[in-house]
Amino acid sequence: MNAPVLPLFRQAIAQSWRSTLGWTLGVAAALLLYLPLFPSIGGAGSQMGQLIANLPPQLVSALGYNDITSGAGYTESTFFGLLGFALIVIAATSWSTAAIAGDEESGALELTLAHAVSRQQLVLERTLSVAVRLAWLALVSAVFVLALNSSAQLGVTAGHVVAVSAAYLGLGLVSATLGLAVGALTGRRIYATAAAAGVAVLGYMLNAIGSQSSELDALRDFSPYGWAFHHTPLASGADWGGLALLYGFSAAFVVTAVVALRTRDIAG
Amino acid sequence: MTTGSTAIELAGVSKWYGRLPSGHSALDSIDLSVEAGSVFGMIGPNGAGKTTTMRLLLDIIRPSAGSIRVLGSEPKSGGPELRRRIGYLPGELRLEGRVTGRSLLQHYARISGPVAPGAIDGLAERLGVELDRPVRTLSKGNKQKLGLVQAFMHRPPLLVLDEPTSGLDPLVQREFLAMVREARDAGQTVFLSSHILSEIQQVADSVAILRAGRIVTVSSVEGLRQSAVRRVRAGFADATPGAVEVALAGIPNLSDLVVKVSGRAAGGVTDITATVGGDIDAFVKAIAAFTIVDLAIEEPDLEESVLKMYGAEARAER
Repeated sequence: MNAPVLPLFRQAIAQSWRSTLGWTLGVAAALLLYLPLFPSIGGAGSQMGQLIANLPPQLVSALGYNDITSGAGYTESTFFGLLGFALIVIAATSWSTAAIAGDEESGALELTLAHAVSRQQLVLERTLSVAVRLAWLALVSAVFVLALNSSAQLGVTAGHVVAVSAAYLGLGLVSATLGLAVGALTGRRIYATAAAAGVAVLGYMLNAIGSQSSELDALRDFSPYGWAFHHTPLASGADWGGLALLYGFSAAFVVTAVVALRTRDIAG
Repeated sequence: MTTGSTAIELAGVSKWYGRLPSGHSALDSIDLSVEAGSVFGMIGPNGAGKTTTMRLLLDIIRPSAGSIRVLGSEPKSGGPELRRRIGYLPGELRLEGRVTGRSLLQHYARISGPVAPGAIDGLAERLGVELDRPVRTLSKGNKQKLGLVQAFMHRPPLLVLDEPTSGLDPLVQREFLAMVREARDAGQTVFLSSHILSEIQQVADSVAILRAGRIVTVSSVEGLRQSAVRRVRAGFADATPGAVEVALAGIPNLSDLVVKVSGRAAGGVTDITATVGGDIDAFVKAIAAFTIVDLAIEEPDLEESVLKMYGAEARAER
């Protein structure tokens, strides 16, 4: 009898389809609400443009609304940088903290690890399951942006949509893998949640402060949010340095999770 | 599995939490050996270290000191292939989620199989658990049955069952004990724990008594029974209290004797209560001389008596 391929991955996906569906609907709804509004409110002479021009410049920078009058700027600042960002971070936090810490607190991890599964395999398969679900959300975003591109007069290119989606996914992965690592280190869901959501909030704040002036701009280099969106990938294409940081840190957190879970006792 | 070999061997195993041995200690230098193909019971009050011992065997936790061998391998280096050969029932089984019992068991079969076709249904039928209901809607007893099915279904050479009878009603307990006997007859080794000896004394070949992280004794169940204390109560017609006292005076292992007359004056019944330690034979022969109208011999509470015995010894040592 052949050993089944990736049994823990398949179980995680099978058990989470409802939640994945819910997040998918959330992402789709956000895009369907925002993007079609662009023709009526975008453009330099539009009402939205005038409204933005009258807002305090610090607020506009903090929200990333400087470039809201272009299709790429509008899409990035309303979805990828704001509502979509919140959605993927919350999804990443809830999935990643359930994968190890939540499972351990519920007592189910003990029984799983008592079977013919190594701890490394468990961390890697469950990480993969979270990554695949986040990638799905990024893919859904990309598909909706491209589908609405012409009707909403966004004028974005497919290559740039891929670039911003990769950054968007990377940002979700940083939260998710940190949540997994802290869960593997502590076994406590509350710590994992604080870390996964905390890194996103902290990154967002650093980026918002960094966008206030050119002297503070360097702060954005320390923010995962800045790595993803500082160089506006939807308008100007992939920021390879930023992507390397996002995916590099994610990989490092996965390694941490594997080492941490292999070394410690599992709580009963 | 050849008889005579050892399925589980613990030598000087300690487990403590915190940095120093002076921290909270769950196990204190345990030595234990379980013969392959036998049924070995571990008895002790809650917190004695039974669950800790079992979790060490599965590499869920690691020992602070000492060495462990399970089916010839050390649990950590044995890894998944060793655990594939062990069926484990955790002491506190918590099953949640929307999945049905069947799909949960199929999942465990994928990560510990192979499971023979029909094995899951056969075991579920024996224990009387419905497989098509979501596990979170099941009662504690039914969850426990699912836990037993997942431990037995791939016929592992070693079964490690932590409080297997907890939550099971007496009929299912009996079925479970039959499953344990069949497992032993098929050459499987069964290592189980309970805080109530009477639940497993019918099936265990040997028993280890644990108290506060130490093994106080390892013995056969028969050996325990012989040293156990029974409470007896009897009523005699046509016998004066004095005659009864004289008849029972010569029995060395009888204590706490209380004799009194109930009923009205002459024609009343002489009642006795007493404690008999170990062999019951002399007591029964002695009372056979009278007309017995009432007799009760309490089943020995082996665990309590053994713990008392060793508790007293431990106090005496100090």
